Amino acid sequence: MSIVEICQSIHLDILTAVAWMLNDTIIYGFIILALVLTGEKRKEKRNIILFSLVIAALAGIAIKEVLFVERPCAGEEWCPGGHSFPSMHALTAFVLMAASIRKRTFPLYLLFALFICFTRLYLGVHVFQDIAAALPIAVVSYYVTNNVMKNGKRN
Amino acid sequence: MENETERQVMHFLVGIATIALMFYLGRHFMVAAIFFIILAGMLVINLRLNGMKLGIVEWFVKRFERKDVLFPGFGAATFATGTLIPMVFLADTSQVAACIFILAVGDGVSTLVGRAGRIKLPYNKEKTIEGTAAFLVASAPAYYFVGPAIIPVAIISALVESIDFGVDDNLMVPIVCTLFFLIA
Repeated sequence: MSIVEICQSIHLDILTAVAWMLNDTIIYGFIILALVLTGEKRKEKRNIILFSLVIAALAGIAIKEVLFVERPCAGEEWCPGGHSFPSMHALTAFVLMAASIRKRTFPLYLLFALFICFTRLYLGVHVFQDIAAALPIAVVSYYVTNNVMKNGKRN
Repeated sequence: MENETERQVMHFLVGIATIALMFYLGRHFMVAAIFFIILAGMLVINLRLNGMKLGIVEWFVKRFERKDVLFPGFGAATFATGTLIPMVFLADTSQVAACIFILAVGDGVSTLVGRAGRIKLPYNKEKTIEGTAAFLVASAPAYYFVGPAIIPVAIISALVESIDFGVDDNLMVPIVCTLFFLIA
C-alpha cells in the first residue's frame, strides 16, 4: 500500500472540508502569513522568513512551468488548475518548519507541515513525489536566504 | 585535521549504501525513506538545540560533526537533502546514482586530498588544485552509471565545488548535477 493510498483510505467529512478549505490559495496564504507574524517576534528573522517564502515560491513556480507535470486528478471537474510538481502548499509549510529549527515550537510546525502534506495527498491533487520535492526546495531556499541576508548585514 | 578521514569515509559509505538501496528497493521507496529521515533528523536536531541529550546521537555528533557548522547535525542534514534532490527531480535512476556518487565519493575524496594539497586555487584560497583534481578522478567511476556524460558533469561539479558560493557543497553539487541532467 502506497503512502497516497493510505492517506486516501481515510474518509471523514470534516477532514475533507478542512482539506478543501486549505486548498484555497487565499485562505492558506492568510494562515501562512498569520503563522509568520504570530510565531516570530523578531523583525529581522521575520523578514528572512518572508523573503525565504518569496524565494521558495518563485523557485516552485519556475520548476512547475519548466517541468510541466500534470496533476494526478487532471481531467476531473474538481481538480485545481496549474501543474503538480512541486506542491506549493507543502513548500511554504516546509519553509516555516525549516525557519523554526531552533525553536521549542518546531514540533508544531513539523506537524503542521505533515498535515498540509497529508491534505494534498488526501484530496488527490498531488502525488508523493510532489510533496517530497518541496522539502529540499524549502530547505535550500531558507538556508540560502538566511545566509545571504545575514552576510549582507555583516558586510 | 579533526576526524576528517572518518567523516569522509562515513560520507561515501552512506552514499554508496543509498545508491545500492535505490537499485534494490526502487527510487520511489528511497524518496519516501529519505524524506522521513530528513524530517526525523530535523526533529532530533531541534531537540538537541533545545538542550536534550540523545544517547547515540551524541556519539555520532561528537565523532563525525565538524566544529564550525551552523548547528550539530548540519552535515548529515545537508547530505540527506542533497541526495533527495536528484531523486525527486530525475526519473532515470542511473543519473540519480551518478549524482549521489559524485556527491558521496567525488566530494569526499576531494576534501581529504584537498586538505593535504599545497597549490591553492587562484579564485579560492580555501581550496587546492589537488582537491579539485581528486574530485574529477574520484567521480570517474560514475561512468558505469551514465557513460561519457560523466565527463562534463564531473567537470562542472568539480568547478562548482571549488568556488565559494556560500552554500554547502552537499547542496551545491547535487543541485548542479541535477540541473545538468535536466538540461542535457
